[in-house]
Amino acid sequence: MKKTVLVLSLIAFTSVLFAQTKKTTSATVAFDATTALDALPKAENKTVIAEIDTKTGQVGFEAAVKNFAFTNPTIQSHFNEERWLNSDKYPAFTFMGKITDVTKYNFSKNGVYNVTVTGQMTIKDKTNNVTAPATIEVKNGALTATASFTIVLADYGVQVGNSGKIAGEPKITVSAELK
Amino acid sequence: MIHKSANKKGWVKKALIALLFISLLGGGAFWYIMNQTFDDTASAESAFTVSAQDLINAYQTNDSLANATYREQIITVQGKVTEVEAADTTVNIKFTDPVTGSYLIFDFQSQHVADAKVVQAGDSVAIKGSCSGNIYSQLRRAHMISFKRSVLVTKF
Repeated sequence: MKKTVLVLSLIAFTSVLFAQTKKTTSATVAFDATTALDALPKAENKTVIAEIDTKTGQVGFEAAVKNFAFTNPTIQSHFNEERWLNSDKYPAFTFMGKITDVTKYNFSKNGVYNVTVTGQMTIKDKTNNVTAPATIEVKNGALTATASFTIVLADYGVQVGNSGKIAGEPKITVSAELK
Repeated sequence: MIHKSANKKGWVKKALIALLFISLLGGGAFWYIMNQTFDDTASAESAFTVSAQDLINAYQTNDSLANATYREQIITVQGKVTEVEAADTTVNIKFTDPVTGSYLIFDFQSQHVADAKVVQAGDSVAIKGSCSGNIYSQLRRAHMISFKRSVLVTKF
């Protein structure tokens, strides 16, 4: 009996360690649309779903728009309203893509890998191609992925106006620990 | 002629005072709105207290109705923790339906992260947070119901 439990535990442990799809439901995505005139339009979402298939290079992220937490209630309310992200109608941001030339990298070995990810970002009802450099650190089967890039809000039907208080090309920073 | 000029001067003075008053009022309101922050959730009153499984069931049965009821509300959720996902400065606590994989996930207000870090999978707890509603995850084929600015109320 003890032997069976030990063997099953070992199988479970190794299958997690060597699984080719690494996952988390606690990735963080930071949105920063601040300008010299306004330091308030920035937020973080710490409950982002992320998956990376280390064999095929498939990458996926899903975030609930309403779970972006701002420090200021008014700015958070504006972010979610109809003329901005319209989160009642479009509750999720998604990114589905692939690591370019994934066969060049051996993610079963510990190390730091600088990769390029290309895919499609969907915000509201608009989908656009996004290419971004990313860093993946592998340590004992776990992956720490980070990426930073900008998006053009107008490409997603979001008009920020000419007041200069909101950056039209906010910085998006992604960090995820995947197991 | 002199009488008319004095009248005009008086009117201009009144207009300037009114303009100054309106500017001060507008500036004050703008300053107040821009410097507002969210209250500590610990001091906020819960609109609902529900069990984790009941809340997951509500979303799985009719997510539109559940969102109309719970979204943007402060809710206290009680249940047995299924998973804790911690990083250096953050911690998320999850309650997962073992059959469907749908789950509730709570991130914590910065001043309450340390309290939440003592929680482990299997602990029975009550957590209060601001409900952000659900999304149906295509990656996980399950509902994710997320909460922000949460606080650990009790560890039973």
